[in-house]
Amino acid sequence: MSELLTSGSRRDIGREALPHGGARLVAPAVLLIMVVTGTALGAVVATSLGLLPLVGQPRLSTDGFTTLSGDLRAATRESLLTAAIATLLAAAIGLTIATLALRAGRTGRLVIALAVAVVTVPHLVGAAATGLLLSDVGLAQRWSGVSAASWPELVAGRWPGATVLELAWKESAFVALVVIASVGRRYADLREVAAVLGAAPRAQWRRVLLPLSGPALASSSLIAFVYTLGTYEVARLLGRAYPEPLPVMAYRLFTDIDVAARPQAAAAAVVATGLALLVAVITLPLVRRLGADR
Amino acid sequence: MMRRTRLRRRSARQSRLTLGPALLAFWLVVPLVPLLMWAVSSRWSGASRLPQDWGLRGWQEALDAGMLPALTRSWVLGVAVALIATPLGAMAGRALGWRLLRRPALPSLVLLAPVVLAPIAVAMGLDVVILRLRIPGEAAVVLVLSVFALPYTTFTMRATYLGLDPALEEQARVLGASSRQARHRVTLPAATTGLVTATGLAFLVGWSDYAVTLLIGGGQIVTAPMLVGSSAAGSGNDALTSTLAISATLPPLVALAVFTYAASRRRTAAQS
Repeated sequence: MSELLTSGSRRDIGREALPHGGARLVAPAVLLIMVVTGTALGAVVATSLGLLPLVGQPRLSTDGFTTLSGDLRAATRESLLTAAIATLLAAAIGLTIATLALRAGRTGRLVIALAVAVVTVPHLVGAAATGLLLSDVGLAQRWSGVSAASWPELVAGRWPGATVLELAWKESAFVALVVIASVGRRYADLREVAAVLGAAPRAQWRRVLLPLSGPALASSSLIAFVYTLGTYEVARLLGRAYPEPLPVMAYRLFTDIDVAARPQAAAAAVVATGLALLVAVITLPLVRRLGADR
Repeated sequence: MMRRTRLRRRSARQSRLTLGPALLAFWLVVPLVPLLMWAVSSRWSGASRLPQDWGLRGWQEALDAGMLPALTRSWVLGVAVALIATPLGAMAGRALGWRLLRRPALPSLVLLAPVVLAPIAVAMGLDVVILRLRIPGEAAVVLVLSVFALPYTTFTMRATYLGLDPALEEQARVLGASSRQARHRVTLPAATTGLVTATGLAFLVGWSDYAVTLLIGGGQIVTAPMLVGSSAAGSGNDALTSTLAISATLPPLVALAVFTYAASRRRTAAQS
């Protein structure tokens, strides 16, 4: 019996050592992603080009993109603006949270626990809470004593203030946790060395923590940026009706009674996806290079 | 004189040291405060700073709105996504973490790709296809969310396998274990924390989804986030919205706290 097991296991080790053993392991996940996203994105692109109409004959045209080109441009601007400001805030605050959590012992652990809690809160809940906090009859207005009339229009106002703040809130916790997880132990060791060599706290931060956390900060900021580009519910609850970000525009047109709006809805989704892919393709080499320094 | 300046400087540094954490804790906690306040208020009108009537009206209304069945549906969705995304992610993570692929670059990119894609775009495309193929909406929602959970499970397990020595599994096989036994009795127990993290992340993707369920389900699949969304967008009933929002947030948070506590207990027991 043991002879049988041994021979079997030897054969298995040999098989696993071959590269296609690895290919078999990744195949199910890779296939699932390729089939689902390939089918879905193919259908969205085809719909945007008039090739998959809900009723009538398919006809190749760019009407989906041109009919509402002004709205599409405004939505693109709104999406990019929201994502860029929210990501910058999230990166700056996330790095601050990480710095503090890595330096302070017990308070640091408390801040990490809070950040973990924030990450598990759904964005939709965050958006509902932010509305209750920042609207003109929200908690902040009630407690600050500012009259409702002179309270800034953060929710559904001219600028996507509440949307940006909600996204920055959740993503700052995400950035902080990624940075803490990636530098934790090494920072503690190197910081001790730097302190022994006479580096002041500020120098320790600039010369040790910042370079160490560079790759994690860059990659988590990239993820935060593409996430905020594609998110729907936050801007839907906290943003104004016009201009709306691309995902909100896509969903509104998709559920329009007029089925002729479907190609335009798909066009907004295609632009959102294209933008996120473009940003990823441009910045990924940079993120890689930061990581390669280590 | 000099001593006093030094003392003052030290106290300024001390206050900076406590002010920073306090500000950051404020930033992290304050958005959730209105939810907690409104969830225990029965009447809070006008511009008054505190509710006129405290009470649990919102909870009763949430129960009437179907909160419990919706939470159950969210739980089923989370479990279904975790059941698909965790094993597939663990397999892919093993291949990537133990460098079993000759060219890992392309599979890694594919496995990361869902992070970049807008869920609403993928859901929209699939909705067009499932209408023609007559695939039930529930199955499509689970499939799409599993795809969005795969990057998290794969790269969590990749990091876990990076920290595990493959030689341990080989030794078990040399000692007579089959490859299946070695995997199940040696490697997987050592990867428990990673597996639980991956399962939790995949569960959260299903549990907290709004956009994909809304678009593909067309309002027919009523999960907890659906109730939160419709209440927040149109009801004007802040007590109800807050109660629903808290119910949609607390269960995973409690599970996480219990797991963290159990893990720390286990670690302390192992050390002593």
